[in-house]
Amino acid sequence: MFCEKAMELIRELHRMNDGQLPAFNEDGLRQVLQEMESLYEQNQADVNEAKGEGRADLIPSIKLRHCCLLRNQRCLVAYLYDRLLRIRALRWEYGSVLPPNIRFHMCSEELQWFSQYKKSLASFMRSLGAGEGLDITQDMKPPKSLYIQVRCLKDHGELEIDDGTVILLKKNSQHFLPRWKCEQLIRQGVLEHVVS
Amino acid sequence: MDPAEVEFLAEKETVKIIPNFSLDRIYLIGGDLGPFNPGLPVDVPVWLALNLKQRQKCRIVPPEWMDVEKLEEMRDLERKEDAFTPVPSPYYMELTKLLLNHASDNIPKADEIRTLVKDIWDTRIAKLRLSADSFISQQEAHAKLDNLTLMEINTIRAFLLDSLNSMYKLRSNLQPGSSKGQFMDF
Amino acid sequence: MDTQSYLPVQPGVGMEENFLSLDDILLSHERLPTRTECAFPRLGFLEKSSDTQDIPEGTKMELPLWLSKGLYEKKRRVLSVELPKVYREGWRTVFTADPNVVDLHKMGPYYYGLGSQMLHFDSPENPEIAQALLQTFIGRFRRIMDSSQNAYNEDTSALVERLDGLEKALFRSGQSGLNGFQSWEKGEASTLTASSLVLNYRKRKITDVQP
Repeated sequence: MFCEKAMELIRELHRMNDGQLPAFNEDGLRQVLQEMESLYEQNQADVNEAKGEGRADLIPSIKLRHCCLLRNQRCLVAYLYDRLLRIRALRWEYGSVLPPNIRFHMCSEELQWFSQYKKSLASFMRSLGAGEGLDITQDMKPPKSLYIQVRCLKDHGELEIDDGTVILLKKNSQHFLPRWKCEQLIRQGVLEHVVS
Repeated sequence: MDPAEVEFLAEKETVKIIPNFSLDRIYLIGGDLGPFNPGLPVDVPVWLALNLKQRQKCRIVPPEWMDVEKLEEMRDLERKEDAFTPVPSPYYMELTKLLLNHASDNIPKADEIRTLVKDIWDTRIAKLRLSADSFISQQEAHAKLDNLTLMEINTIRAFLLDSLNSMYKLRSNLQPGSSKGQFMDF
Repeated sequence: MDTQSYLPVQPGVGMEENFLSLDDILLSHERLPTRTECAFPRLGFLEKSSDTQDIPEGTKMELPLWLSKGLYEKKRRVLSVELPKVYREGWRTVFTADPNVVDLHKMGPYYYGLGSQMLHFDSPENPEIAQALLQTFIGRFRRIMDSSQNAYNEDTSALVERLDGLEKALFRSGQSGLNGFQSWEKGEASTLTASSLVLNYRKRKITDVQP
């Protein structure tokens, strides 16, 4: 049956229902487009014949191929769109810099889209609060205190805080840091929030 | 809504404290606070009360309803009635947890209060499920949520809304063509 | 962070599909027993059992829902679609007798979704099918609510294995309400946690290394 390749793309995404981004399936996409091209060509030929030689009996087959064209189109659009939703989520979960193993799974248009999304989000956040700017990716939960206790889960190098002090984030070391400095690092699994 | 956000809203409720320091009235966007005089009770938002308490700057006076006898009465009434009875505070659950966790030394019989409030909560949640079920099985279109608190609604909100949505779709199947959608070739 | 930032397009549930929903695309891939009411020239290769050039009139084939929907016409018969067993009268009686005993995962897994889609095909039984879908949902509601709101910190696979896809989604939203409340009650709600997406990525990296 037609459209099996397109279904493969959809299944691939559906299997990873937690929002992980599988590698961009360029090959699969190309195969679907090829199938669409040949469906279109066959239909074009049959349409000409149906018109020219009055072969109305060809119409059901033309219609069937047309359905397949639309189906393939739907699957491709849904595939690309769902990937964009996942890529957008990455900005909120990882921050503006993505780890290389994730970037590796994106095609160049997706990388471009990510960087534009990043930019519009940044300029929106800068425009808030009468020019002061507001980071809306912070404080996803109402904060209880300005400073929190954290433990380093891995070596992360140096971190500079507001007053200019530089802190070395070494595995297993504990620190008392401004909450807003830590939130993203906690989300990324670098730090762990220690609750006494 | 995240329960942490509901708790955040609860922290705006006022509670009486007895400070052990003095400070002039302070003027904030959310309202004026103080003045604070040692030994003189004053009303402040819960977030401030807890902060002062943590720094040992005050004693918290528990709200009137946070009392074993009153709560026992409420629990018995809640168990007797079929409908939801009025609660002493729209944030009774959150306030109980906040105050008992941070100021249990200022609240007499803290453990009993914790158990009583939990009993009341459990009774109410059981009622909530019972009414959700009859709501669905009788295919009702609207319900009164009198006397329910935000935290209570919040625990069942996502589930109930999704269920009602599905039921609505399955019900519109009974009158095909009435929904706006025409046959579409996907 | 337990609130996920990835929010997939939701399925349409009723008679209308959601164009971009992966769930609906999978649902519309379900196969239906059909019979051709006219010949399809030059497409004989789609029918594996024959080696003719055309698909002749009267061929019985299993076609996916999306294609059956696309080809189906009320005025000009191109295709007739048979009702899958679970929606026929025999099964409908079983469902109405006690909806809770049926394994909708086995019957489905898109019992409600596919059932609603079947209403697109003119059948005299349509009103009964629609009614059976609704009554089944209502009859099973209580059990889904109770199990999703009571099962805290336990293995839920036994609870969900007999649920249809729609019910599973409901079960999950019930669980998220319960888990949110329970972790708040234990005082964990204000603790910042790592993104579950990040953690899953890390898990996967480890399993990648150990084949």
